[in-house]
Amino acid sequence: MSNMRVKFVRRRLRAWSRRQLYSFFSSLGTLLSHRLATTMTVLVLGIAMVLPLGLYLAVNNLRGLDLQQDEWGAITVFLHNGIGEKGAAELARMIDDRPDASAETVSPQQGMDEFRRASGFGQVLDLFDENPLPWVVLVTPQVRDAEQLGMVVGNLDAWLQTRDAVDIVQVDHKWLQRLSVLLELGEAFVTVLSVMFSLAVFVVVANTIRLDVANRCEEIEVLSVVGASENFIRQPFLYTGFWYGLLGALFALVLLSISVLYLQQPTEDLLDAYGNSFEIQGLNTFHVALVLLAGGALGFLGALVSVQRYLRQLRVSGRLGRI
Amino acid sequence: MITFAHVSKRYAGSASALLDVNFHIDAGEMVFLTGHSGAGKSTLLRLILMLEQASGGQVVVNGRNLSKTSARLTPQVRRQIGMIFQDHKLLRDKTVFDNVSLPLMIAGMRYSEIRKRVRAVLDKVGLRNKEKAWPLMLSGGEQQRVGIARAIVGMPPILLADEPTGNLDPQLSKELFNLFRQLNAQGVTVMVASHDLTLIRSMSQRVLVLSAGRLIDDIPAVISRGWEK
Repeated sequence: MSNMRVKFVRRRLRAWSRRQLYSFFSSLGTLLSHRLATTMTVLVLGIAMVLPLGLYLAVNNLRGLDLQQDEWGAITVFLHNGIGEKGAAELARMIDDRPDASAETVSPQQGMDEFRRASGFGQVLDLFDENPLPWVVLVTPQVRDAEQLGMVVGNLDAWLQTRDAVDIVQVDHKWLQRLSVLLELGEAFVTVLSVMFSLAVFVVVANTIRLDVANRCEEIEVLSVVGASENFIRQPFLYTGFWYGLLGALFALVLLSISVLYLQQPTEDLLDAYGNSFEIQGLNTFHVALVLLAGGALGFLGALVSVQRYLRQLRVSGRLGRI
Repeated sequence: MITFAHVSKRYAGSASALLDVNFHIDAGEMVFLTGHSGAGKSTLLRLILMLEQASGGQVVVNGRNLSKTSARLTPQVRRQIGMIFQDHKLLRDKTVFDNVSLPLMIAGMRYSEIRKRVRAVLDKVGLRNKEKAWPLMLSGGEQQRVGIARAIVGMPPILLADEPTGNLDPQLSKELFNLFRQLNAQGVTVMVASHDLTLIRSMSQRVLVLSAGRLIDDIPAVISRGWEK
């Protein structure tokens, strides 16, 4: 008796998997038979997905910069024009005497050379009769951990402001703080964009599937009459939605990779100018898998909601009878 | 096999399509259903197929009371019925083979078995060499035969046909009816709705006559030959 039951269950299971296989291939067939429409949908989905992904990547990379905080903690002190090498050296020595900082001097000539090299505006400098740059003292805060940096930089800033020789104190750390706030804003944007564009993906797939259902309501009717369960009717559409989402995500990743490749060189040049070596971080394997999964899931959900709704409409209109 | 007890069907805002219809069809019987267009033939078939629900009375198909059957079991009821439509209802974007194999795909049959069965049934309706053709490439008669192949490929115990000879010439109609008789001889319960009285008379089978939603006559097979005159 129980043996028969096992056999029965096994047969049902096999029939079920064959039906799944049929739906699977039937959905692929539909996509392939409407190549142009499929491509357009996938393009739209890919572009919708690449926007939040791209922003995420940008924010993430800037965060990576953020980690090298001590480098950005530097204070640049511009001295008054009248102050010469002696004044600059004296200030540097006073700073070196402090426990929380070290200093080095940069002569107008060194500053000029560096500017020439880094900015590419070398010719502009030739227009000046004499070197317009003042003596500069570069101050590097000495802190054990990044937490103290803000306080130490604040102290140094306040002390430097009181020196007669000092003209301008430029604190990179402020800029860093602003960057940090901007990054938080960027992250919030990523969240907002992700939600919005996920919704867009969902809606695009739902609408595409809706049209698909409408185009094939004759087929649905026939399937229903020859004894297909609602599940069997629904299945190919769900697979189609899943394919749309997955292909869209794949396309988004391709777009993203191309963008990263394209931006790689200019970014390196830019950061070189800041004396930073840097390589754009792409998405790691985990993220790629996550994006593909999310795309597929969104497509599936869009298709599910759409197909449920329109099958119900067909049912209410009486075309499918009682199913 | 099929029992109607005091069945009525009303559509909202119009006259009754069926009114107090009573009949019983035994397993293995062959019955014709006739009447003017609008008499309720299609409605009656749609009730059996659960495409409609009776407003009153009981419809029993193969031992199952349809008005008490949950919608979830509709597919099971339909799998026991092969339905042939006047407009064939073929899927234009699928080949003849794929159209015919639909019921077997739905049953989740193994592909090798499906191929065997579909070829056998196409052989039977004389379309063995058309399995790769598209429905629109076929003549009306051929399309009708594809529809029949699809209806009988799953070997359902009940076969329903709604005006199957609608677009066929007399010779093809005759052949079609002979095919029905052949299937009936193999034990299939056959119910054919048709207004082709000449043909019905020549078949000498039981005839149900509908008029304005009422069953006005139920002529047994033995005397329906005499009804010819």
